[in-house]
Amino acid sequence: MKTIRVYIIMVAALLVLAGPVTVWAASQMADLENALMCKCDDKCGKVLINCTCDTSKETRKTLMSKLESGLTVDQIVKQYVDKYGETVLSAPTKSGFNLSAWITPFAALVIGGLGVRKVIQSWVRPGQTKKDAEESGEASASEAEAPSGKYSKRLKDELDRLDS
Amino acid sequence: MNDIGEFALLLALATALYGIVSYVMAFRSNRVDVYMSADKTPIIVWGCVMVSSVTLWKAFLVNDFSLQYVWAYSNIDLDVFYKFSSFWGGQKGSLLFWTLILTTYMMVVHVQNRKQNVRLVPIALAVMMVITLFFLVLLNFSTNPFERLPVPPEDGRGLNPLLQNYWMVIHPPTLYLGYVGFTVPFAFATAALLTKNLDDGWIRLTRKWTLVSWFFLCMGNLFGAQWAYVELGWGGYWAWDPVENAAFMPLIVATAYLHSVMIQEKKDMMKVWNMSLVLLTFVMTIFGTFITRSGLIQSVHTFDEATLGYYFLGFLGVIIAFSVTMILLRLKLLKSKNELDSFLSREASFLLNNLVLLGIAFSTFWGTIFPIVSEAFRGVKITVGPPFYNQVNVPIGMVLLALIGIGPVIAWRRSSWSNLKKNFTQPVLAAVIGAAILFPLVPLTDKSEIFTYITFILCIFVMTSMLIEFRKGTGARMEAHGESAVGALSGMVWKNKSRYGGYIVHLGVVLIFAGIAGSQSYSTNVEKQLKEGDRFQLRGYDITFEKLLWIKSNDTKERVVAQLGIEREGRRVFVGYPEKEFYKGQKQPISEVDLWSTIKEDLYMILADFKGDQLVTNDNGKTGYFKDASVTVKVYVMPMVKWIWTGGWVIAFGTMIAVWPDRLEARRRTERLKRQESIFMPAQE
Repeated sequence: MKTIRVYIIMVAALLVLAGPVTVWAASQMADLENALMCKCDDKCGKVLINCTCDTSKETRKTLMSKLESGLTVDQIVKQYVDKYGETVLSAPTKSGFNLSAWITPFAALVIGGLGVRKVIQSWVRPGQTKKDAEESGEASASEAEAPSGKYSKRLKDELDRLDS
Repeated sequence: MNDIGEFALLLALATALYGIVSYVMAFRSNRVDVYMSADKTPIIVWGCVMVSSVTLWKAFLVNDFSLQYVWAYSNIDLDVFYKFSSFWGGQKGSLLFWTLILTTYMMVVHVQNRKQNVRLVPIALAVMMVITLFFLVLLNFSTNPFERLPVPPEDGRGLNPLLQNYWMVIHPPTLYLGYVGFTVPFAFATAALLTKNLDDGWIRLTRKWTLVSWFFLCMGNLFGAQWAYVELGWGGYWAWDPVENAAFMPLIVATAYLHSVMIQEKKDMMKVWNMSLVLLTFVMTIFGTFITRSGLIQSVHTFDEATLGYYFLGFLGVIIAFSVTMILLRLKLLKSKNELDSFLSREASFLLNNLVLLGIAFSTFWGTIFPIVSEAFRGVKITVGPPFYNQVNVPIGMVLLALIGIGPVIAWRRSSWSNLKKNFTQPVLAAVIGAAILFPLVPLTDKSEIFTYITFILCIFVMTSMLIEFRKGTGARMEAHGESAVGALSGMVWKNKSRYGGYIVHLGVVLIFAGIAGSQSYSTNVEKQLKEGDRFQLRGYDITFEKLLWIKSNDTKERVVAQLGIEREGRRVFVGYPEKEFYKGQKQPISEVDLWSTIKEDLYMILADFKGDQLVTNDNGKTGYFKDASVTVKVYVMPMVKWIWTGGWVIAFGTMIAVWPDRLEARRRTERLKRQESIFMPAQE
């Protein structure tokens, strides 16, 4: 009787754990499928998660069995890199020379941003910024004092339209 | 008949050569007779290319397998519809198709500007003729679509099954109309540089050409995405493939140009910048063609016989060298009085918009060429796939989205802080309220979902700022003219077509952003093995596998179709028919997905695998079903995908308004033309 109870508890525990484990395995699998390219004969050039060819089905089975055997995502990815080289990765690694792939676009944006700032600075007429600040202060004051009549609004709308 | 097509290509080549020489001579010598002679060449070249194209089309339609190209891309059983599109299914035909569009554009430019704009048109046409010449040289001497087979086979090899989809009939022509269209602004910009007519004449002449080309390229990209979505069967629409990137980059650079050119039109500033952007857009189109046809970068889209790399690389090199040299030579003339009234101005916001757009174009370019860079420096080939582009371009794209909302509410010339506060209060308030409403509704468990949440908030901000612009203008008109709301709105849009057309385009872009964000983050999928009658649930859908059908379409194609009953809340709402198509001579079957698409989400069904013990055929022997069948189906629920396609149609509507002929503009143009007294005006020094 005691043995049966132990079995029941074990089965119940397995059933309770099975859900989260399946979810965990699915998320690990998705990580792997996103990290690796399909290596089919047709050189389809697709990330594994997007590939529907027969090779990709086989690869998924192999990956699942590796996950089930206890290997981590990183370990599996390393095995694939050792076997196929870096082309099997869907994106460059974030180390060594490959880091330049990630940094360069943002570096270019920062440099471009500084350039644009300098250009705008040189194009804004000297003293204009100070004048802007003063004018905006004046504008606020005058807006507060101005009559809020229909005609002033219409005039403003017309001027805005001309401006645009 | 094929001889005529081949000869027409040769004649086109000779005429194009004559056209180039005579246009240049006419311009240099100011001789009207030479000009009149040159002026016939665009029509002759177009006529020849048209004859050649019609010949090839006819060869496809009559199954003339004596032509190697027809044999390689068609067969007897191919649907007429696809025989028509087989024309651009391979490299040779697609080059001819490109040339046909190019010469058609050239002819339209010629007809549009007959005895008009003569300061620029002869040289612009000569430039277009040079580009045409390049393609005609390839067609005549390297990749001739009229190449014969020694012994004509009885049947052809057939068109790649993936290309037998209606989107593939629409997508390439649309994309080409966009790609090739940018030749026109390039030609006029080059003509302006060569003739030193560097006022904004060339910009005004090419404004609509640029808009229309931009529109076609945009739609071409979207149609391509739709093709990938329904045909490739992986539940996605954009894979950041090098060839997709190649079509995306000129679109982004052209978008930057369309914004910055407004500053030149309004304030006569940024001439060097705008000139560079036009040239860069064209360079990007040729770069794209180089990628597709060189085989240098691995892509699912490259042509099988991608062997023209060196030609396009050489052409690209010449264009870049020429463009840079011309800009450097004309730097003095291109100098404009660059002055901004304030940091807080729409001009400054456009500069930021240009920076961000070019940032996206650069990161895409960098990702595309990085495998080559890596191989050159390290000797190691690597792959740069979607994870790279998503991580780099998504944050930059979000900044761009914010700028779409910020730009229109900042005044030209100068904005005051109080003005800004007034204009931003409502959009920011709407965004804050939207953020509060969405917070409990959307999952925020990972980085992607957080990005999507922020994107939704930005979309609300941009939408509100746009709608306020419409409301303000409509209100002012209603007050001023006593019109109804509908009358005031339509009158306002009609009188300011380019401005409000542009705003509508922005609304379309916002829908696309929202659709991409929603579908990327909140989609889910499941793969199930099912026997007849088995059912499963996915996000409120009850999906039952009912039967496995068999259809023999013709001698070369058989279809195996799974019938899936879809119920929602106990009510049958749809029957899905995902299938596998088997083509004679193809190693792998092709998956055809089925979709139940609503504005909320798409139910996307794929038949991944099947087993059927016994096929029972009907009397006609062309249809049947499998007894005791089992299938493996993959079903996705993809939220908001329809928003992307809807956004495309909104963009189309906005562009149509923006390019609609404007009487006032036409009158101004006529007056400007009247001021041009002589046929060949001397160039400005």
